[in-house]
Amino acid sequence: MAFPVAAISTLAWRNLWRNHRRTLIMLLAITVGVWAMIFMASLMRGMTDQMVRNGLQTLPGEVQIHQRDYLRDPSVVNSMDAPGGALLARLQEAPVAAWAGRVRVPAVIASERGNRGVTLLGIDPVAEAALGSLPDELVAGRALDGPGDRGLVIGANLARRLETAVGKRVVIMSQDTQNNVAERGARVVGIYRARLQGSEDRYVYAGRAAVQDLLGIGERISEIAVTGHDYRNVAPWVPRIAAAAGTGLEVLPWTELDTFLGSMLVVQDGFALVFMVVVFLALSFGLVNTLVMAVFERVREIGLMQALGMRPGMILGQIMLESLYLLLLGLALGNLLALVTVKPLESGIDISSVAQGMEMVGMGTTLYPVLHTADMLMSTTVVIVLGLLASLAPAWRASRLDPVAALNKT
Amino acid sequence: MWKKLAVYFLGFCTSGALAQEMTAPDIIRKAMDHYRGLTSYSEMTMTIHRPDWERSMTMEAWTEGEKHTLVRVKEPKKDAGNGTLSVDGNMWTYTPKINRVIKIPSSMMSQSWMGSDFSNKDVSKDTNIIDQYDHRLLRQFEQDGRQVYVIESIPHEEAAVVWGREVLSIRDDWVLLEQQFWDQDGALVKSLKALEIAPMGGRNVAVVMRMSSQDKPQEWTELHTLAVAFDVELPANQFTLSNLRNPR
Repeated sequence: MAFPVAAISTLAWRNLWRNHRRTLIMLLAITVGVWAMIFMASLMRGMTDQMVRNGLQTLPGEVQIHQRDYLRDPSVVNSMDAPGGALLARLQEAPVAAWAGRVRVPAVIASERGNRGVTLLGIDPVAEAALGSLPDELVAGRALDGPGDRGLVIGANLARRLETAVGKRVVIMSQDTQNNVAERGARVVGIYRARLQGSEDRYVYAGRAAVQDLLGIGERISEIAVTGHDYRNVAPWVPRIAAAAGTGLEVLPWTELDTFLGSMLVVQDGFALVFMVVVFLALSFGLVNTLVMAVFERVREIGLMQALGMRPGMILGQIMLESLYLLLLGLALGNLLALVTVKPLESGIDISSVAQGMEMVGMGTTLYPVLHTADMLMSTTVVIVLGLLASLAPAWRASRLDPVAALNKT
Repeated sequence: MWKKLAVYFLGFCTSGALAQEMTAPDIIRKAMDHYRGLTSYSEMTMTIHRPDWERSMTMEAWTEGEKHTLVRVKEPKKDAGNGTLSVDGNMWTYTPKINRVIKIPSSMMSQSWMGSDFSNKDVSKDTNIIDQYDHRLLRQFEQDGRQVYVIESIPHEEAAVVWGREVLSIRDDWVLLEQQFWDQDGALVKSLKALEIAPMGGRNVAVVMRMSSQDKPQEWTELHTLAVAFDVELPANQFTLSNLRNPR
């Protein structure tokens, strides 16, 4: 005998709406649960995404190439030649979207009223723009106009600490390869604002050729930052770059350059799942209770159906279908609700009231929730799989009822 | 700082009439030229004054030319032997307690020298005030029967100098009466003043000088010159790291 799917699904659907108030309440619970899962996941995604992006912006790049000893001692001595040959060829082909060679040395910047330790970045503005590592916002003055620009672009907070401004001269001091003092007066040409105050204090941008000139290192650079514009997918091409770079250079992906950021991503993915399961566990009590009640109310009816020849499997299937309908409806509504609420928020939620705390974990003053299809799929899977598992128990009980006893139950 | 001191020490008496014909760079150059290539030995007390404390130390200093300076602390006892050597803009310190010569990294050149109002950079100053600035004679007036030249020095665009301008008052016997440091907004930040001038070592010398910042008048550093000698014979190894470590 064929499994009467149509009949069973009709029965299940109608049964669902026999007590529509109960079904609606349950539906509401599932909807809110699903919405909460996706909404929280998108907030967490937003946080991690931003942390990683901020991290990669200041790192910068998803992969960096250094002279082998540079990371242990980021001094001007451990610089390397500008890329050429095989490495240059590799850097110019896909999946590398952009790369930039930069000079990066510890330095001191001094004004009339103060001095601060900073990281001096000698950059080529065009290459850095493609890399996406330039500061987000220029609040005064202009950006660097080329590698030969002899001006400085400093952070707004640093400018405040030094009591300097656009158009004023400051002195930048570092060490050359012989450990002699290398210093020069330079005019502040621009002031930038970064998402993190810490970066504003730390990074001073200057033209690359001007910095090379100051340090007396010719065309040499400290690091090459490379991006493929997909930070989740760098592992495949890192070895190819490393092979082209040779043994004198060290090629590292961002997960190793900034292990905190790298582990954050893994932790966050796991955490989203744990969170969804926890929300669902709370939800499942309601679901199981609803189904148990539905079965309990219909003991006689189920007994009758069994007496008329319906097989236990069909009873089971009917209850499970009932549950599946409920879950699917709830999921559809929940996902829709999440979509409607998260999408308008993607432009950013102002969290400046807790900005100081958030900055400690590398966050800015605005939270940008990110709606990932993967999260919606994950929550759907979690809800359906766990939901069906939870409804298995009452359905099983219903299918195992003794028809005679069930019919006689008052 | 020692270069500035040298301007005082090595200032020599010439007639006012001769100086009148000189241009601003000449006035500074004249004083500096007489300082260059010469040697000096001096003994001085540095007093660092703060509203709630004050300390003094006595030091000996040797200079040769513009780029060699050696300073060694004599008193108080706990600081005795601390030395600072400056050669060609680089700077090393030696502390007998830890028996180490430490090179002052560029990151510390802007920091205070021995807790005073002078920075390490002031002490080892390799910037040449003649070459790195544009000089202009602002005015000239008579004070106590002597001509005083007021010269404004504006640093070149890329000179490693944070000041917007410096104003030097030089007397016609080449004693620097005052050196003012102005910021780029035209506000006075700090000044080095000669408080007392007396003949010493055969020349007129500013025996008391005070460095004080404008917005903290309660904080200053004074240098009292106790003795000074010019054109002294110095051994060839005077300005070496081994001499910094093992004074002979």
